[in-house]
Parts: sequence; structure tokens; C-alpha cells
Amino acid sequence: MTPTPDLKRALALVAEADLPSPDPTDDLARAHRAARARTRRRFRAGLAGLAVTSILGVGAATVLADAESPSTEATQVAPEGVRLVAERFDAAPYSFDLTPTGWSVQGQSPTAVTIAPDDGSTSAHPDDFRGKLVIMFDANPPHGEAVDHEGRRFWIAESDGYTTIATHTRGDEPSGVVRIQYPHDAGWEHPSMLAFLASVHVGDGARWGLG
Amino acid sequence: MRADDRTAEFVEFTRTHRRDLVRTATLLCAGDEAFAEDVVQTTLTRLYLSWRRVRRADSPLAYARRSLTHAFIDETRRAHRRRETATADPAGELVAEPTTPGTDLDTRAVVLAALASLGPRQRAVVVLRHWHDLDVAETARVLGCSTGTVKSQNARALAHLRTVITPAEHPTLEASP
Repeated sequence: MTPTPDLKRALALVAEADLPSPDPTDDLARAHRAARARTRRRFRAGLAGLAVTSILGVGAATVLADAESPSTEATQVAPEGVRLVAERFDAAPYSFDLTPTGWSVQGQSPTAVTIAPDDGSTSAHPDDFRGKLVIMFDANPPHGEAVDHEGRRFWIAESDGYTTIATHTRGDEPSGVVRIQYPHDAGWEHPSMLAFLASVHVGDGARWGLG
Repeated sequence: MRADDRTAEFVEFTRTHRRDLVRTATLLCAGDEAFAEDVVQTTLTRLYLSWRRVRRADSPLAYARRSLTHAFIDETRRAHRRRETATADPAGELVAEPTTPGTDLDTRAVVLAALASLGPRQRAVVVLRHWHDLDVAETARVLGCSTGTVKSQNARALAHLRTVITPAEHPTLEASP
């Protein structure tokens, strides 16, 4: 055989295939579409936010982080907020004590639940998580900034475009970590994120996912 | 920042670094080219949407690689990729049949199979530590985990790679933290 002097060379055999010279046209078109969709989403969420009169005290805020005002895109300054109501719903084997209005369960499995906004701004495909909430159950240790809420410890981690909050399941639930991935530009703030995750109940049929 | 500036910078960045991102994604996705392309496209779109952060980064490429790793991890959490249930050691369930590579192409196939048999986060650790030469602390920062986790994941991953790639043929696949 051809000796492989080290792991890096082995990896190079995989990575260093001949690649065509990149043409950024398609990437730019996708980026522009995403920017326009984000602008529309924020604008719609802003209109909805203006109509909201009750927030249950768990969070309504203006999200303008990283907002940009490029000359070719509509400038948006709308406030965004998610309204949580004390209404139970099930996405077996998970259940929730709070319901975010304007959001609906799109996919559910023993390892995860997907909840999408009703405004049609995201993909109808339940496995496409962009712009949606993803409730996951696994055995990976939680990480991030630790905060206490309602007598439980939660961990908040920020990554590109998402905030993920995790907590250990309750003593009478299957052992593991339940976490929710929230998209940054969908109107969720830390108080509402924490409140919603704290309302999750993990049922017996839940199974750990990989990842 | 004007949109024209952002677009021009994005085009130049993509022209210069897309291949690097594809290579990294190919390793993370264990040779699944379609998956890798998806991850790269997602990454580039996210970069465009947060271009101010890219501009502010000390190294835009390093920022992009970090974003790529996050996109990969995010993608592996999608429902259709999470159908299997986790085990304490995913690699432990594999049937390890040591393979002796013959040519570079054979070796490539063996390495791909070995990478594919690692869990996503273990694979990410291997790529960050041994392809991008990040140190333990930086790898932990990218993956949002502790340095201890990086060390243990790395050790497990290398041990597994040594199992599926004939040890005698790869004497330098030694575990480093």
C-alpha cells in the first residue's frame, strides 16, 4: 500500500480532490433570497407584534441585533415578540404547558419535535429546521451560560443564527437533556425561550437522538 | 455598510475560500458530497446574513470554518439524520474490520469509511484538531464544549480510526490530546 505518514495526510486524501473554480453566482443568489426572506419575516413579525396586547410577562422585545440597512433591501425596524399562552398541547411523546401563538407543530418523532411559524416564511419540509424551533432530547451534556429558572438549571448557548437552551429532564421523566434550538430572528427572547423550555414534559416514549 | 460593498466582499470571499470550505465540509460529512455542498451553501448564506460579523472577525476564514462546523452540527440534528438512538460510544457498535489499503484511492475509501463510522461531533473534533490544527482550547470553543470533552472525544476517535485502519500501516495515528 501507499504508506500514510500521518492522519493529516490521510485526511488530505479525502479533502483534496480536484474542485472546480468556484462561481459565486448561485451562492450570491441564495444569499440575496435569504436576506429578502428575513426582511419579510421581520416585517410580518413586526406587524403581528404591534397587534399583541398580552405577553404573559415572558418576553416581548425588539430584536434588531445585526440589523443592516443595505440600499437594495427594505429597511425594517419592526418590533418582534412571541406570545406564549397557558394552553397545553401534545406532540407525543412530548407535551408543552405553554403554546406560542402563531406557531404550530410541523414534525414530531421520539427524538425531536419541530415547531414552525404559521406565516409561511419557512420551509414546509419538517426536516428543514431553518427558522423553526427544534426540541431535541439526547444524552449530550448541556453547555453554555448557566441560569436558574423556576428552580431548575438551564444552559444558554449562542451559535451562528441560533440560541440553544438546554436543561436536564425532571426526575420523573426519562433521563437525559432536553434542549430547544431557537432561530435568532424569529422574535424569541431569553425569557420566553426559558419559559417555553421549562414547560416541556418528556414522555416515556422519548428516545435519545444523535448529535 | 452598503449592500454593494457587502455583495462585492461576499463574492470575493466566496471565490477565494469556497474550495477550502468544501474540503472541510467533505471531511465533516465523511465524503458525502451532496451533504457537504448543503452545509457549505447554508454556511455561505449565514455568512452573508451576518456579514458585519465576518468583517469584524480577526480571520474571516476562521470565522467561516467555525460557522461551517456549526452548520454541520446543526444539520446532523435534523430529524432525518437523528433516527438512530445514541449509545454511550457510537463507535463501539461498529464492526471493526481492519482494512489494508492498497493505493491512494483505496486509502481514501478506507479513510472515508472510518470517518463515516465516527459520530458527528467526534468527526468534527478530528477535523478541527488534525486538519485545521486547532489546539484543544480552540476546538472546545468552536464546538461549545469543555477541553476535557475534546480530549476524550479525540482519544476515542483516534482509537477507533486505529481499529478500522490497519494499525501497522498507520503507525503515526497516535492519540494526541
